[in-house]
Amino acid sequence: MPTKPLSVRYEDDLRLLSSRWRQLGVVVVLAFALLFPLRASDLWLTLGSEALVLVVGAVGLMILTGFTGQISLGHSAFIGIGGYAAAILGGTYGVPFWLILPVAALLSAAVGLAVGPFALRLRGLYLAIVTLGLVFLVAHVLRSFPEVTGGLSGLAVPMLWWLDGPTVSSSPFELLGTPLSSAIQKYYIFLVLALVSVLFATNLRRSHTGRAMAAVRDRDVAAAVMGVDVARTKYVAFGISSALAGVAGAMFGWESQFLTIDATVNLVISIEYIAIIVIGGIGTVVGAVLGSVAFVVLGQLADAFLGELPLLSELSSSQRRNTFQAILVAVFLIVEPFGLYGIWLRIKFYFMAWPFRY
Amino acid sequence: MQTFLQLFFSGLALGSIYALVALGFVVIYRASQVFNFAHGEFVMLGAFLMISLVQGGMWWLLALLVTMAVTGSVGMGVERVVLRPMIGRPVFVTVIVTIFVGALMRVAINLIWGVGERGMPTPWDTTAMVEILGARVLYNSVAAIGATGLVLLGFYLLFQRSRIGVGMRATASDQEVALGLGIPVGRVFAFSWFLAGALAALAGIFLGMFPRIVDGNMWLIALAAFPAVLIGGLESPLGAVIGGLVLGVVQLLAQGYVNPLLGEFGNNFHRVFPYVIMIAFLMVRPYGLFGTREVERV
Repeated sequence: MPTKPLSVRYEDDLRLLSSRWRQLGVVVVLAFALLFPLRASDLWLTLGSEALVLVVGAVGLMILTGFTGQISLGHSAFIGIGGYAAAILGGTYGVPFWLILPVAALLSAAVGLAVGPFALRLRGLYLAIVTLGLVFLVAHVLRSFPEVTGGLSGLAVPMLWWLDGPTVSSSPFELLGTPLSSAIQKYYIFLVLALVSVLFATNLRRSHTGRAMAAVRDRDVAAAVMGVDVARTKYVAFGISSALAGVAGAMFGWESQFLTIDATVNLVISIEYIAIIVIGGIGTVVGAVLGSVAFVVLGQLADAFLGELPLLSELSSSQRRNTFQAILVAVFLIVEPFGLYGIWLRIKFYFMAWPFRY
Repeated sequence: MQTFLQLFFSGLALGSIYALVALGFVVIYRASQVFNFAHGEFVMLGAFLMISLVQGGMWWLLALLVTMAVTGSVGMGVERVVLRPMIGRPVFVTVIVTIFVGALMRVAINLIWGVGERGMPTPWDTTAMVEILGARVLYNSVAAIGATGLVLLGFYLLFQRSRIGVGMRATASDQEVALGLGIPVGRVFAFSWFLAGALAALAGIFLGMFPRIVDGNMWLIALAAFPAVLIGGLESPLGAVIGGLVLGVVQLLAQGYVNPLLGEFGNNFHRVFPYVIMIAFLMVRPYGLFGTREVERV
């Protein structure tokens, strides 16, 4: 059996999953994701939902940084906009969650497009620091209207099924006679959102726009010479990326049920997303997913085990997480720049060439 | 006028600290094309080290020099261990690495010194003032401004007159050619990081002297100094100093005159105002005041 199917027809090239192995892999992962909440403990169910939130946000950043090569330290600004859209619309006006999602996405995308003109003129570090400025500006604006955003004390984020209707926790959904808990309902809703965003990014990458993004990332002048509309491509990347970040922000709000400005819009969140796409493998959609899952799982393990070590037990749990994450990212960048996806590729090529070395 | 002068001099003092921090960024960026996000942590390390040394009974000026030397050596170590293996990798990657090096340093400083607030010891009375043109200025502020002037003079001499300075300029313009011409590029990197670490320590010491306190949040000064670096231009030491001074003055004048105009929105607006100015400025001059314009080749 050939390890790689030959593309003999045009349709072969168009297929989303090109080989039997990939189809099998997707089925296994999907089955696991679907059955996971039925057996998982409350803690792991929460972690699962957290990972799904991160997947959506990481896919957003991947499109901007991984596909298009625009470094952004401002991802948490868009997360914050989405989160506060969910909190204000849901909490004050009783808007149902499925209506909030597009609003949060559009609102975030609008701000993202406003950054577009800067992205056209600046590149690299200059862009990174301007987007960092965006984080401070958004945090400042949120802080300046305490009667709307709750100021420093924060806002509760209810997740409603329909207008002024029951919250997700008290809805009448049942499975095999037992009512589903709110955590499980959230998990499945988030799973759908994560799957949609992953599918979207995968297809985007294969499209005309996706190839234009890769060209801009690799050499924008060369891309322009070949007829790629660099300005339009950057705008599209910023728009899509911030829209997904807005969705992720709304999800983040529902997951944590309570938002404060300091915990939502800050540099640390932006850096966490960068860590995720670096750990996962920059430039791939799989990398965003792998990175998010690894981030949550490893963070949890670090919390459990690093506490046993003599010096580190004096740190708070969030500090321990940060330390672990810092070491992990540094090691990955120095040793395996393509992250988990790079490791996977190496394993795959080893077995594809087996019994030869290469 | 009285208020204006008062704000102006405080701004100048704050600005000279920004200038010292910004200089550190520029020195490293020129030599090794690394934008060091861990710089704020070096500032913090310097401040904590200084307090411990002086409290341990060391003579103030000697403690200052020792602090600068030790912080500089830490910078050299970071370059050798973490950044030397990353030469030739994209700027983006080194930025991320330095962000996480900073996070680790923060944890280490936390472990060693704890999170409590301290005051920075000064050889003169902390609240002593001198009157300039009717405005009352703290000795601390005068010292900060004076130190920045000295550092700038030192930089000029270093870059124009010394061997290593010329080597640094050569490395800044092209690493490979410099190496080919026999300039010890590795030593230039090490020296640049040492210099940046020492500058950071100096900035930390003066930052701690204002009525501000030395605590675990001190590294945020680096984020506040970014606009100075970018307005001045990433490659220019003179630009960094001008950018820093302008930033300090503008920030305090904004606090005095712009904040009250904006009502509710004006609370703490002066903290984000530099970023607003920076963004507007970069739209007009994308490479800052004295930054080199990249020539695009395919």
